[in-house]
Amino acid sequence: MNAASVAVVAVIVALSALAVRRVLKKGAPCECGGCRKCGGGDCHCGK
Amino acid sequence: MANIKIALAGNPNSGKTTLFNELTGSSQYVGNWPGVTVEKKDGILKGTKDVVVQDLPGIYSLSPYSLEEKVSRRFLVEENPDAILNIVDGTNIERNLYLSTQLAELGLPMVMAVNMMDVVKRNGDKIDFGKVGKALGCEVVGISALKKEGGLEAAQRTVELAKNATSSKKRPEVPHVFTGSVEHAIAHIEESIQGKVAQRSIRWYAIKIFERDREIIKDLDIGVGLMKHIEEHIRDCEKELDDDSESIITNQRYEFIQNLMSKALSKSEQRKNKATLSDKIDKIVTNRILALPIFILSLCVMWWLAVAEGGPGTVLTDWANDGFLGDGWHLPFTTHEVDGKDFEAASEEFAKAEATVKAWEAGEKTASIGDEETGETSDEWTVDEAAYNAAKEVEEPDPSKYGVWVPGIGALIGSGLEKLGVGNTVKSLVNDGAWGGVATVLGFVPVIFVVFLFLAFLEDCGYMARVAFIMDRLFRKFGLSGKSFIPMIVGKGCGVPAVMAARTIENERDHRMTVILATFVPCGAKTVIIAMFAAVFFRDMWYVAPLMDIIGIAIIVMGGIALKKSKMFAGEAAPFVMELPAYHMPTVSGIWRHTWTRLKGYMLKAGLIIFPACVFLWFIMHFDFKFNLLEDEQIAESMLATMGGWIAWLLKPLGFGSWQGAAASVSAEIAKEQATATLGLVAANMDGASTAAHVTNLFASFVPACVPEASKVAVAKLIAMSFMVFNLFIPPCMVAIAVTFREMGSKAWGWLAIAFQLFVGYVLAMSIYQIGLVVCGCGFGFWTAVALLVDAWCLWMVFRPARRTNA
Repeated sequence: MNAASVAVVAVIVALSALAVRRVLKKGAPCECGGCRKCGGGDCHCGK
Repeated sequence: MANIKIALAGNPNSGKTTLFNELTGSSQYVGNWPGVTVEKKDGILKGTKDVVVQDLPGIYSLSPYSLEEKVSRRFLVEENPDAILNIVDGTNIERNLYLSTQLAELGLPMVMAVNMMDVVKRNGDKIDFGKVGKALGCEVVGISALKKEGGLEAAQRTVELAKNATSSKKRPEVPHVFTGSVEHAIAHIEESIQGKVAQRSIRWYAIKIFERDREIIKDLDIGVGLMKHIEEHIRDCEKELDDDSESIITNQRYEFIQNLMSKALSKSEQRKNKATLSDKIDKIVTNRILALPIFILSLCVMWWLAVAEGGPGTVLTDWANDGFLGDGWHLPFTTHEVDGKDFEAASEEFAKAEATVKAWEAGEKTASIGDEETGETSDEWTVDEAAYNAAKEVEEPDPSKYGVWVPGIGALIGSGLEKLGVGNTVKSLVNDGAWGGVATVLGFVPVIFVVFLFLAFLEDCGYMARVAFIMDRLFRKFGLSGKSFIPMIVGKGCGVPAVMAARTIENERDHRMTVILATFVPCGAKTVIIAMFAAVFFRDMWYVAPLMDIIGIAIIVMGGIALKKSKMFAGEAAPFVMELPAYHMPTVSGIWRHTWTRLKGYMLKAGLIIFPACVFLWFIMHFDFKFNLLEDEQIAESMLATMGGWIAWLLKPLGFGSWQGAAASVSAEIAKEQATATLGLVAANMDGASTAAHVTNLFASFVPACVPEASKVAVAKLIAMSFMVFNLFIPPCMVAIAVTFREMGSKAWGWLAIAFQLFVGYVLAMSIYQIGLVVCGCGFGFWTAVALLVDAWCLWMVFRPARRTNA
């Protein structure tokens, strides 16, 4: 595997980890009844 | 730290949330049916740092009967807001004032904002704000929340009153709406509870005690002796007026309002006995015979626009998949012909030449081109040496020669990876896994856009409120409450708020039943599954898409009937009262806000959930349990294939009992649209030039060997239908499942809900596949008999005589 391939894999893994972290950190659903998952971690109410 | 709290209170559907959004810059979900706001929501008033506006659920009174009333009352009484902004529907002011009189009795500074003044003026009606304000002891202003007129000024005035009240500590004037003997009893009660409650709210508490409000009596801890003394006053009054105390208060409030309105409201002479436009439309739209066909027709129009061949949804989807997210597209009005051919004709000629070369080199005498999306052979011709030699000369057309060519994101990523010189495995990770999954979901955003745009229009113009009314009539025939349909309308967007919205149903049995049934309405995420299957398998059958919504509603009705006949859910339907808002032309900004809020969520979800899920699935699809990297032909030994195989046998009677079908169905529990992304991923090494072709070939590979050649395409579509139905009607995504468990109140009830949903989805998919196989001439097998027996049992559960209940 060349350096470019390693770099691409590293970027994808890092982006995935960040996405999962954001969704898990915020939790779902929101107390207002909205779905944070549908908002990718953010509820439509802004919380 | 905020130090002024303003409560936004009013009747359901009076425009509170619209005003709240304007005042705070939020984008709370607004709906014109009751129960949209179940919990209170807060936001900071625009242009301030220390003023919190609290949007309370819509209520008709401050009684503690419904969840909305409890939430609003608790806030107003226990959390001591500094002032109330009472929003009142000006077109129905008489009925709205019932709550206003109660709010005024709380003794808090209050501004009454009479909303929809634009409609009031248009109708030619006049409201004397001065008289209303004087009678209720508050300031009255006219606003139009929808047109953003006067709302901010009303809020600023409320803030001023709150500030003045804090500094002066003077109790605002409270209205005296009752007759002498009632006022006398209330005065005695006030005297008895001195010191137990805040002085400014003492009248409200006294009236509640007069009404024998159990919660208030319990909260104030009134001793037996004192209560006995108070009871004497109440009973004297009841005896004198020959009615119970609660009815006395209600009747006298209405008398007070009627009296006030006779002085302060002058209705246009022209309108007094004339049917409004809304009345005329309702005569047709809510007609007993026409209502349901009109509702089904509106669903068909919505889906036709979204998925029919040549419709706006399909045109945009094709552009998104092939152009924007795929290879690229020509800018409109820049295309031209080269050698008398346009780009499409040149591409077709090249595809034909490629097929000729391939066939001749394989020693075949005929060549053919199959329809990429349907898998059916669309063109077949004979091949000879001359044709082979001519075909070899045909060059692949360069799109940039036919007009201004804009490369798609997929092409840009491909060429970027090529330039970086990455290996094939990493190319596959990006193209099939990370980007492929996201692109599959994003590719169907145009369909969701059309569906949500249409729904937003129906909601904003007032039609969806009628749908609840129509459904109430239908539901009531079967012992169900129309109140159960409100969460189902919410569920068209997302199952999570739908399950939460079921809280408004006080009766626990009906509440649980609604939670079980609410997610059968295909939500936005499931719309992606419908869109994909409509685009890939049912292009010539657009009616399959609305059929999914109709099946969802049929399951709700039939499932509801069956559950109501069981011991656990038997009982009378709860009463359902709702007002029908006047029809009005929705604003472009309102429709756009509704649509964009939902679309934005989907696009974010594609990046934040579908992206990592596809990367993970790609890894477990390309590695075995010993973490050896697998070649394409070894994928059947991968972790994903092995794990899929563990449950694939369960799906055999449904027609897609393979590891691919199992993996797609299980991964859909992360988010329903993941099913489409996973299908794209697991089908990536199938023949074909596009995801649609890969998926078509994947389902063609599921067709049993015993099926005659002539029926193969039909059976592949049957399996696709079975897969779609299964994924639409089994339990919703994991977040909605978690909320279902929470709302059901216990694990046992939660598991019951999941088991019911799994049973319905499984039986429906099995019936479609097994009965469809018989229709396609593939014989009657063991599973056909099982499907028919289970169907017969389900029909018995629906149509058997109802139990007798004492409820």
